[in-house]
Amino acid sequence: MSDLLSRRSAAVALAVLAAVTIAAGLVFPDSWVGTVLSVLASPGTHTAMLRLAVPIALAAIGGIFAEKSGVINIGLEGLLIVSAFSAILVTFRLGAGESTALLSNHWWGFAVGVIVSTLFALLFAAVCIEFEADQIIAGLAVWLIALGLAPFASRIVFDSPNTGNVGTFDAVTVPVLSEVPVLGYLLFDTGPDVYVMLIAAVAGWYLLARTRFGRWVEASGENPKALDTAGVDVRKVRYAAVLLSGIFAGLGGAGFALGQLGTFAGGGETDIGGRGFIAIATYLFANYHPIGALAGSFLFAGLDAVQIRLQTYGYAVPTELIRTIPYVTVIAVLVLFGKTRLPEAAGEPYDPDED
Amino acid sequence: MATDRRAFLTGVGTIGIATTAGCVGGFGEEGNGEDGGNESQGGSGNESGNDSDNGDGGGSANVGMVYATGGLGDNSFNDMAQQGLLDAEEEFGVSYSEAEPESNGEFEGAQRDFAEGDYDLVSCIGFAQEEALTSNASEYGDQNFMIVDAEVDADNVRSYVFGEPEGSFQVGHLAGLLTDMEFEAGAGSTNPEESVVGFVGGVESPLIESFQAGFEAGVDHADTGAEVVSSYVGEFNDTAGGQETARSMFEGQGADIVYHAAGATGVGVFQAAQDQGRFAIGVDADQSVTESDYADVILASMVKRVDSAVYTAIESVVDDAFAGGETEVLGLEQDGVEAVYGQEIGGEIPDEVVEAVDSSRQAIIDGEIEVPDTLE
Repeated sequence: MSDLLSRRSAAVALAVLAAVTIAAGLVFPDSWVGTVLSVLASPGTHTAMLRLAVPIALAAIGGIFAEKSGVINIGLEGLLIVSAFSAILVTFRLGAGESTALLSNHWWGFAVGVIVSTLFALLFAAVCIEFEADQIIAGLAVWLIALGLAPFASRIVFDSPNTGNVGTFDAVTVPVLSEVPVLGYLLFDTGPDVYVMLIAAVAGWYLLARTRFGRWVEASGENPKALDTAGVDVRKVRYAAVLLSGIFAGLGGAGFALGQLGTFAGGGETDIGGRGFIAIATYLFANYHPIGALAGSFLFAGLDAVQIRLQTYGYAVPTELIRTIPYVTVIAVLVLFGKTRLPEAAGEPYDPDED
Repeated sequence: MATDRRAFLTGVGTIGIATTAGCVGGFGEEGNGEDGGNESQGGSGNESGNDSDNGDGGGSANVGMVYATGGLGDNSFNDMAQQGLLDAEEEFGVSYSEAEPESNGEFEGAQRDFAEGDYDLVSCIGFAQEEALTSNASEYGDQNFMIVDAEVDADNVRSYVFGEPEGSFQVGHLAGLLTDMEFEAGAGSTNPEESVVGFVGGVESPLIESFQAGFEAGVDHADTGAEVVSSYVGEFNDTAGGQETARSMFEGQGADIVYHAAGATGVGVFQAAQDQGRFAIGVDADQSVTESDYADVILASMVKRVDSAVYTAIESVVDDAFAGGETEVLGLEQDGVEAVYGQEIGGEIPDEVVEAVDSSRQAIIDGEIEVPDTLE
């Protein structure tokens, strides 16, 4: 109770602080507060937020399904990498800007990216469910394999860890509706990858919260024995959930590659650059709620978009510090509002013969 | 919870060890292992069958190349170095072997492999090899070494450093002059309402900051009152970060020309320029050629002639005139750095701008302009 109270007062204090800041910013537009406000209010920040949120939100929703079913998938980063790379590779090979069988090659690349990610997830599922390998180790292996495989394949095809350029999806502009203030440029004049993200978030929520399969997934993570007793095959449910995580992460990786990057940089941590790990933090922070994960990815991507802009205003604050803003904020929010509870059986292989 | 954590640590540990072991083993072919013995001698490359003989004056030589991490195929730094090697092969018929270390820890072993073998020159590419070479140079006193981008004080090492600030000054001057004009070429145009140009860096380091310092001084020299906005993405491979950063400069601040020193992150800068119909300036190699998809927005590139450093070092070994213990500074005067105009749209830059940039080049060479190499 006191915990709840202190959190509430913290939230109130935060709201008051925000109100004072906004007031100060409006009164003194040239001060740093004014700058922050103008950055927050600029359409460029908002659209950047939507674009940057795509891989994080989709990988997070995928991670929710896997972990809810009892399989912790920390290989999301690897799934993003393989789907991004294969989407670019296939689009490049088919010819960017052309069509095959009436469908733009970007969409073929997108489809293959999702399939490759799903195959990797299948491999991961087999290792974890069939062979009862440690899920954390198997997840790390998925990441490390992807980290090595994508640049390696790129070297074979492009003679360089970086692939060629295939351009991005054309933005979808809805006539009339795109003229609506704010909502117009946010929702009706944006890339298909953003629509995929929004639709997938709602679909993920519906599947998890409103269908029988969603209840099975939940039971498989909380009390697999009970699910087994009720006559549902826990193995199948977990396979399906991990494959779903592969599909969602694939949508994220391929959507990010073809919606924003248009190319794949394979050096160092690749141009995915840890977004899959941010996705894990995001769904934990949303307590496994798909819509919450979408909101969390907006928070993270939005702060990233803000820090990028703040740097260019040339404050005397070191740029390294400004870059930590998204991470520091997420930790602060976690402390204030986070109440993550891991599914009871997460991380443990299910053995039906065990009592 | 406790077991989870233990499992995690075990996992990280196991995989970490496995990865390290993989690195140490290397691929064999190119002998980039820490203690891979003499693998590299039989390695790739021995294309011309000429036996090497150092003291032969005009005879051919055997060269060992140790590339910077990132390896070949980077379309810039390492590929430029290899170009110098290939030119020397064509000209003098030298033979060579190459090593592409994956991490900084592997430099010392890779250099040692070559030093133990029969090589007339070991070329170390990149400032990160400085420390490894310092210890190897004293251990193998009879071996000739060269290093690019760093200074090693030893009698058997020839160091090559570039005047990056001077080259950046040149493209800064160009950007400062153009932003004030109404200029349209290829897929871009300047923004007549604002006089702002941008700089995007990869990771904060003295080297990258020297690019920024030179660029800012160049813009200042144009004396058009143009403002420079700058930003560091924190990664050399974050295309999306480079894209969003440049986009915020173009959209939010009204910038019309952005210069990058950010590796693959810089590709994002080109994408943003194309998207917004503005301009970008490339780095290291002529990027209107190496990244030709973006040639319609690349005004110019600040080219670092790593190839000529490698070539001249090999030449000196072939001519038996290798002079170790010296540092060669390759600035504007030595054509070590230069502003190379874009293949596609560079020709449309107004003559008076080109002339002004040429004259500031001369002024730098004559010592009339001091180019800073650190941010104040």
